Amino acid sequence: MSSRKGRNEAARVVREQLAREKRRKRTLWTSVGAVVVLVIAGLIGWSVYSSQKSDTFTAPPGANDAGTGVVLGTGPVTIDLYEDYLCPACKQFQQASGETVNQLVSSGKAKVVFHPVAYLNRFSTTEYSTRSSAASGCAAKGGKFKEFTDALFAQQPAEGSAGLSNDQLIDIGAGVGLDRDDFGSCVRDGTYTAWTEHVTDDASKAGVTGTPTIKVNGTAVEDRSPAGITAAVEAAGK
Amino acid sequence: MGVTTARTAAGRWPVVRPWFGLAARLGLAAVWLFAGGAKVGDLAASGRAVNAYQVMPYEVATAIGAALPFVELALGLLLLAGLATRLSAGISAALLLVFIAGIASAWARGLAIDCGCFGSGGQLAAGQAPSYLPEILRDLGFLALAGFLLIWPRTPFSVDGWLAGDPPVEDDDE
Repeated sequence: MSSRKGRNEAARVVREQLAREKRRKRTLWTSVGAVVVLVIAGLIGWSVYSSQKSDTFTAPPGANDAGTGVVLGTGPVTIDLYEDYLCPACKQFQQASGETVNQLVSSGKAKVVFHPVAYLNRFSTTEYSTRSSAASGCAAKGGKFKEFTDALFAQQPAEGSAGLSNDQLIDIGAGVGLDRDDFGSCVRDGTYTAWTEHVTDDASKAGVTGTPTIKVNGTAVEDRSPAGITAAVEAAGK
Repeated sequence: MGVTTARTAAGRWPVVRPWFGLAARLGLAAVWLFAGGAKVGDLAASGRAVNAYQVMPYEVATAIGAALPFVELALGLLLLAGLATRLSAGISAALLLVFIAGIASAWARGLAIDCGCFGSGGQLAAGQAPSYLPEILRDLGFLALAGFLLIWPRTPFSVDGWLAGDPPVEDDDE
């Protein structure tokens, strides 16, 4: 009687052990599968990003040596402006302090390096930030970068919209005196799209995490008012 | 009489627990799918959002920024299907802890950035105040969901349950 009870007991223990073993194996394989899925997902993201990046770019005439921005003026102090044509705060900065910056340039106190970064592609449905920045490269080629930039900020589309179409960009370019055919084909072909990417990448590497960022001789300026900009340039020029 | 009520209260937990688990699993899945989906359209911007925390070199930040949205989407899909739930919950909890640490360190260092948790990200415009505390509290809420699933991973309508071939059981050691 007692030996039969013992056999039953032993059989139950073995059954439980087998079930446990089976469960352990199943957990192991589902875990391995899940980890593989996650690793593959990460690799997909990385390779998609790598394939989107272009290796070569052509900087437009008027760009600095590094090809990271368009230079205006020849003054001794360098004012770096990092702006996105879609960024409302950049428009405000241009309206409030643009004239002061112009005067500093025309009086020979400073030169401007304008970096048309494409940080806000997510806030338009047509990658307006990239398209407008690449178009500004075309404007630089035609010798009207400053005029085109001012016109773009004056007609800035709202965040979240489709932005201005290529045709509208070309109309604006023609309006500031650019050759419609030359400028038009440059905008349509995206001649300076790779340059825009280079400008944007370089700005990120330089620690520019938002727009507008204003640097005077490499130091970020917190006070973006006309007085703040003037003071920073005066201090740097001494 | 008193004995009966005590027994029903205790007896109800095993019945409702799987349904709480299901809600936690689907809730956490939705969090990851939204977070990944918001970022996947602009991988360069996702890299910039990571870079804005200033905790790693630019090249590393862009690689992580590119991989993260896809990993988040994959985690969301695993949780949605209920496959390897405990592991997915564990990885979710680990990721959330990293995010909370990142936000806290940005706060402590006085950076003015958006966490970039659901898209956007990067430095804030002047005059815009960062909202670190709500971001951390929100992540702690998500962490609670992950914690529930870590402790009780077995939920109804899951691939795990289907593979096991049995209804949600008490004391499952998966």
